[in-house]
Amino acid sequence: MIVEAIRYYVKGAFQGVKETPQVLEQQEELIADISAKVEDLVSEGKTREEALGAAIASMGELSALVDEFRAEQEALNLNADAPLVPTVEVYSGSLEFHTAAITTGVVAFLMLMCTAVGAATDTIRGFVGVVLLALLAAAVWWLRETYIRSVPRWSEVETRVLVQGGRVLKSIGLAAGLAFGAVFLNVIFQSNDFWFWPLWVAATALPIRLMVEWFAIRQGWFLVQDAALTKEVDQFA
Amino acid sequence: MSDAPISSDLIRGHIDTIVLGLLNTGDRYGYDICKRVSALSDGEYELKEPTLYSAVRRLEPQGFVRSYWGEAGPGARRKYYTITEKGRAAYRQNLDDWKRARTLIDRLVSGTEEEG
Repeated sequence: MIVEAIRYYVKGAFQGVKETPQVLEQQEELIADISAKVEDLVSEGKTREEALGAAIASMGELSALVDEFRAEQEALNLNADAPLVPTVEVYSGSLEFHTAAITTGVVAFLMLMCTAVGAATDTIRGFVGVVLLALLAAAVWWLRETYIRSVPRWSEVETRVLVQGGRVLKSIGLAAGLAFGAVFLNVIFQSNDFWFWPLWVAATALPIRLMVEWFAIRQGWFLVQDAALTKEVDQFA
Repeated sequence: MSDAPISSDLIRGHIDTIVLGLLNTGDRYGYDICKRVSALSDGEYELKEPTLYSAVRRLEPQGFVRSYWGEAGPGARRKYYTITEKGRAAYRQNLDDWKRARTLIDRLVSGTEEEG
């Protein structure tokens, strides 16, 4: 009961300060000190309640000590009251979502034009529509995935490492997979003589995607305004 | 006037030296240090725990004291503070500084030159 009251008092004094191992140790020390003082006062003849009141009163204000911890945490951006920063994955996801949207838009426009030309010149026939639908579904899936990643998931720690290599490899893999899948469908169904057109689309889409991303990074559109991060951007841009 | 408690402002600047001095005689935990200060001053000065912990939080990063967890009694875990060699050197230096300052202040506040 008394120990609970002491714990409540000490924890209350540290309200708003994040409970790091250092803070928890300091709280444990203060709780042990007040408990020991209560025992001493009880042995001097005070009741436990009187002893608790006297022990807490003799402890003095904890605010100066708590403020030291708070100031330290603010310097490290660990304070619970400090605004949380989005992780670099959110910036990365946002960049990828916009890149995917622009790339899909440009490629869809090119494909529409090519299809129109092919239809007009009678070089595209039959099953190509299904292949185009499959590609459209893949593009929608890509946009959905990147959008989910771009939705802010707030964190207290900003890792500040922008991982571009992973995204580029994923893009190359996705483009190659889709292109060969579409070629395979074309060859199986022999819908037209222009069976290699998905490779052409992939070969066009990938550089467009990389150029869009490179441009966005150079503009700093999806990055936190921070000098340290800007240096990292320059390293791979 | 002479019965009034000593102003804590007079002592505040020497908290680090007082803590180092107490640790120079052996490892101690927080409450023990506070009790020793109270006993040494015959109850005239009370070192509050927040003041003590602020001091050790200054002294520890400077390498003057180290801390470790130990047992102090049934069920209680205590953080003990111990003085380092660097801390002992700092304590000796602070003690010398204090002795020189005390002599100087004695002369200044008395308004006379010290005899001898």
